[in-house]
Amino acid sequence: MPALIEARDLTKKYGGYVALDRANFCVQSGRIVGLIGPNGAGKTSALRAILGLTAYDGHLKVLGREPFRERALLMQDACFIADVAVLPAWLRVDQAIDFVAGVHPRFRRERASALLRKTQIGGKRRMRELSKGMKTQVHLALTMAIDAKLLVLDEPTLGLDILARSAFYDALVNDYMDEARTILITTHQVEEVENLLTDVLFIDRGRIVLDSSLEDIATRYAAVAVAPDRIEEARAGKPFFERRMLGKVILYFEQPDFEKLAGFGELHTPSVADLFVAKLSGGAE
Amino acid sequence: MNNYLWLVRREFWENRAIWMIPAAIGAVLILAALFGHVDMLTLPPQLPSNAVGQLFLVAVGATFFAVMSIYSTWYLLDCLYADRKDRSVLFFKSMPISDAATVLSKLLTALIVIPLVYFAAADLTTLTMAFIVSVRANSAVGGALWHGDLWLQLQACWLYLIVTTAIWYLPVGAYLLVISAWAKRAVMLWSILPPLALLLTERWFLGTHVLANELGARLIGYAPIAFHVNQGDSAWVTTVTEHDTIRTPANIWSLMDAPGFFSNPGTWIGVAVGVALIFCAVQLRMRRTEI
Repeated sequence: MPALIEARDLTKKYGGYVALDRANFCVQSGRIVGLIGPNGAGKTSALRAILGLTAYDGHLKVLGREPFRERALLMQDACFIADVAVLPAWLRVDQAIDFVAGVHPRFRRERASALLRKTQIGGKRRMRELSKGMKTQVHLALTMAIDAKLLVLDEPTLGLDILARSAFYDALVNDYMDEARTILITTHQVEEVENLLTDVLFIDRGRIVLDSSLEDIATRYAAVAVAPDRIEEARAGKPFFERRMLGKVILYFEQPDFEKLAGFGELHTPSVADLFVAKLSGGAE
Repeated sequence: MNNYLWLVRREFWENRAIWMIPAAIGAVLILAALFGHVDMLTLPPQLPSNAVGQLFLVAVGATFFAVMSIYSTWYLLDCLYADRKDRSVLFFKSMPISDAATVLSKLLTALIVIPLVYFAAADLTTLTMAFIVSVRANSAVGGALWHGDLWLQLQACWLYLIVTTAIWYLPVGAYLLVISAWAKRAVMLWSILPPLALLLTERWFLGTHVLANELGARLIGYAPIAFHVNQGDSAWVTTVTEHDTIRTPANIWSLMDAPGFFSNPGTWIGVAVGVALIFCAVQLRMRRTEI
């Protein structure tokens, strides 16, 4: 089965600035993929290209379509929420439902209504009267009622409080996600999504620096806290990153000799957030 | 087709002024008919009552039409800019609607739907006013407003006007959409600057005004092409009174010059330019999602 998203040498330039520099990655169906990178790394450019919102160079296929040329067709099977609540101020909640129901063949009105009933947001309210969090909830209800194969979320919980965030992710995993769906998500709150991701894509300066499933991370990467007196000995294993913490030094290894490393202390699989810091800081050496 | 219906409905949700402005004009005119001193309206007795009705209907119609032209211009300039400004363009682009459909729906709204709304408002207003005036005033004015034949002629005239202006002003509308899809701010200013710069450049470097003439012909050249404005005596009735001379059309039918309009090369050159500009607007819309 071909990949749901397939990018080869994906490049996006804004004048002289290169936002995406021959990026290569694939997203398989049924996965929850986190696209993670520092500000200005090219996350938004990558999402824009995938959603057909911008022209690009290189090869890109999403659900077998060329996003920029076939955005309207692509949007029958893909949907997205951009980084902030962008529902127009003049739109009423009931109008929003009517509109999406009118133009989207895969929208399930009852589902959107059911999701909205939980929020106590009245149908006659206009977006301009709603708080940022409420607007995001309306947008999520609309989007989650679409039977899409690909859902792209760009900082979906920005402006939501902790309760709403956790409710959102619970709904996403328990009610929305199934094997027929794929989710691509970017967020600054890596810790928040770490438990639900199946794959990560690290992006830095326009290039993909890591494309891995979480299972593979466990077999490929290891971190070990080493006492200062044994640090030189441990460094012989060529860690790609080290950081000091509470008098010890944590060394990060890629494809290490696990048995040998275990002699220095307790091995653990780095968290996505730690690996991100290690990968991106380490790359600068 | 279904999508266009929703897209136009969406324009009504966003731009409530589409119906509120004509409703307000109608309300003011009807209030004037209700409480104004209609009996003081004196008209030269020589004037045929048919002409009185014509003057009245045309005056009300022209009022609506003038306001509509200004509003439609503003609407076209704003429509592809406003959603980029508030970023709601990202929501609309997440729907399975092509950018071509979006651009065409705006053009359809400005050139056909808004004129139809004003047309309906003008009709309602004139009928209500004619009724009020004929009840209130026992003058010739009241009676003059009830000319079924005249009223029907004017309906045809309105429809002819909507169709022909939509065709004639297609390049202007499409140009406004290009600016609306392209500008990062000050759409009004940007809509004026490019043609102005071109005109001045031509004048300074070539010493000619071909562009100025073409532009002028497009903007104000519509009426002489679509109507027999300068026709001889047969199409007009001239009434001479003590103070002035009033010229009224003998028959509104005979004023409309559909064969002249549709056989004019300028009409079709305009359509060609309009199609090219629509294409540009769609291309810009595909690429520009942010201010």
